[in-house]
Amino acid sequence: MTEEMKCLCEDVTDEIKCSCESDNVGIFPCADASNVGQISNMVAVKLAKKGVGTMMCTVGIGGHSPGIIKSAEGCDCIIAIDGCPLKCTKATLEHAGIPISKHIVLTELGIKKDHNLDILPSQVEKALAKVADCL
Amino acid sequence: MKIEILGTGCAKCNKTKKIVEKALLEIGVDAEIVKVEDFDRIISYGVMITPAVVIDGEVKIAGRVPGVDDVKKWIT
Repeated sequence: MTEEMKCLCEDVTDEIKCSCESDNVGIFPCADASNVGQISNMVAVKLAKKGVGTMMCTVGIGGHSPGIIKSAEGCDCIIAIDGCPLKCTKATLEHAGIPISKHIVLTELGIKKDHNLDILPSQVEKALAKVADCL
Repeated sequence: MKIEILGTGCAKCNKTKKIVEKALLEIGVDAEIVKVEDFDRIISYGVMITPAVVIDGEVKIAGRVPGVDDVKKWIT
């Protein structure tokens, strides 16, 4: 069993817990070409490592990858983390008919969008704290 | 027909295998059932949560234990 593959039978306990309290939580970041996109990706990685849920491939949904779509459909709770108001993650999931339980937009949490891709660990930690408050 | 049960040996994966076997028995269809526990093979299907069922290379379900009727629909 690896960190990437979470079995439904495993107990999930850690400091951050989504209020949906589902066994099977899918985390979809936008991971786009901006600071907030890259921060969304790193926040998703951190949430997955903390046991909040399983990080999944948003682009795989857009690419109609059957296994990824079925994995999303198998989730009880979907967390979509968009970087900016374009809300591409939300749109991608909705286009595939996958219901979103929690939608977070980093710019709405006070993180300014720019095109600097060299994000700092401190930026990720600040964003993670804000996202955790939304869960 | 080849039916692959993707999972890492947990209770729900074992339950999925039993349900698939029950469905096959009830409708009298013969198929090769393969339990796949290799992580690389599991993710090669894009499956990110288990259990999952793959029939002749097509992912039918992931993250949930299917019902017997679900399996019957997939194989008939």
